Amino acid sequence: MELRDINYNKSDYVETASGNKVCRQTVLCGSQNIILQGKVIVQSEAIIRGDLANVKTGRYCIISKEAVLRPPYKKFSKGVAFFPLTMGDHVYVGEKSLVNAAIVGNYVYIGKNCVIGRRCTLRDCCVIEDNTILAPETVVPPFTRYSGSPGSCIGDLPECQADLMVDFTRSYYQHFQPTKLI
Amino acid sequence: MGLILLDSLPLHRIPCYGLKINMSRNSIKILPGALVCEESKLRGDITIGSGTIVHPRASIIAEAGPIIIGEYCLIEEQVRIVHRLPFDQRNKENSTPVLLIGSHNVFEVDCNVESPKIGSNNVFEAKCFVGNRVTVSDGCIIGAGCRLTEEQTLKDKMIIYGSRCQMREGLDKPQPQTLQIETLTKMLPNYHHIKKSNKKN
Repeated sequence: MELRDINYNKSDYVETASGNKVCRQTVLCGSQNIILQGKVIVQSEAIIRGDLANVKTGRYCIISKEAVLRPPYKKFSKGVAFFPLTMGDHVYVGEKSLVNAAIVGNYVYIGKNCVIGRRCTLRDCCVIEDNTILAPETVVPPFTRYSGSPGSCIGDLPECQADLMVDFTRSYYQHFQPTKLI
Repeated sequence: MGLILLDSLPLHRIPCYGLKINMSRNSIKILPGALVCEESKLRGDITIGSGTIVHPRASIIAEAGPIIIGEYCLIEEQVRIVHRLPFDQRNKENSTPVLLIGSHNVFEVDCNVESPKIGSNNVFEAKCFVGNRVTVSDGCIIGAGCRLTEEQTLKDKMIIYGSRCQMREGLDKPQPQTLQIETLTKMLPNYHHIKKSNKKN
């Protein structure tokens, strides 16, 4: 099914040369440490904490409204260190989700209102359903579907999941267009 | 003709004496050693103890009375601490109640706390909700995504967890996050505008 156009106010968004669309009402702390690889959409009131550590996303990532990307910390005997957050290509992060993971693989779908706990690892092609809460340091294996609080595996995904996510994020990007003035 | 003249009177000319909005009266006291980001939202009468860190986009709203936050608390982004009384306790004639928050409390991302009294060493994990009838003692952990709304007093070292908000008593108090606060006090001033402390010890 074809996605319907998602319209935004052109003056609210900044489009960079590499095709990133970033809303002006976002909080990007420490922007020199944030790398958006291209064709990334960051929607209003999302927070990316580049001041704590590096945040790197792949291509075709979608960060929805009020989502928070926050590098995780780890305790050592001498103190606390923040670890970089890396995200693969074709990742969707739903509204109001908190991503505190260390690594998010490619083709990952994170639903609305999720909490991805500290230093989790999400491998390629996994789905986190809406309202899931993943405990700290959880490893989500490839091709699995996680749900619940604390999140646990509830099923498998088909082998075509990667293609589905590519289609989904590409068409989302293509349909994310400024409102046309008539 | 007279009627038409009255109607055309511009609205802003009409004097409105005695109209005062309470919320505009902000008095924020930040003790030395506290780190409050400029982008946080503070409303009302708030005192922030030394060593406490308030991240950008946190909001603390003192609606019903003053809020006093102790030392070494960690308040992350999107946190809402609201001092709001339940409906039946409003408009009582005893003086304005004070929300006392102890020291070494951690408020994680997007938690919503309206509790009338909070002890020390508590952890409010991400996206939890604590209603305005819940009193929190010392060393409690309210797990991620848990909602507490019923009238109750949490005993010391209670842990709320899981999708059905189960309760159990912990063996130990949660570890204080002093190490993280130390690192943050070094890192955050490099990236953010910090509100100046305006009180001497």
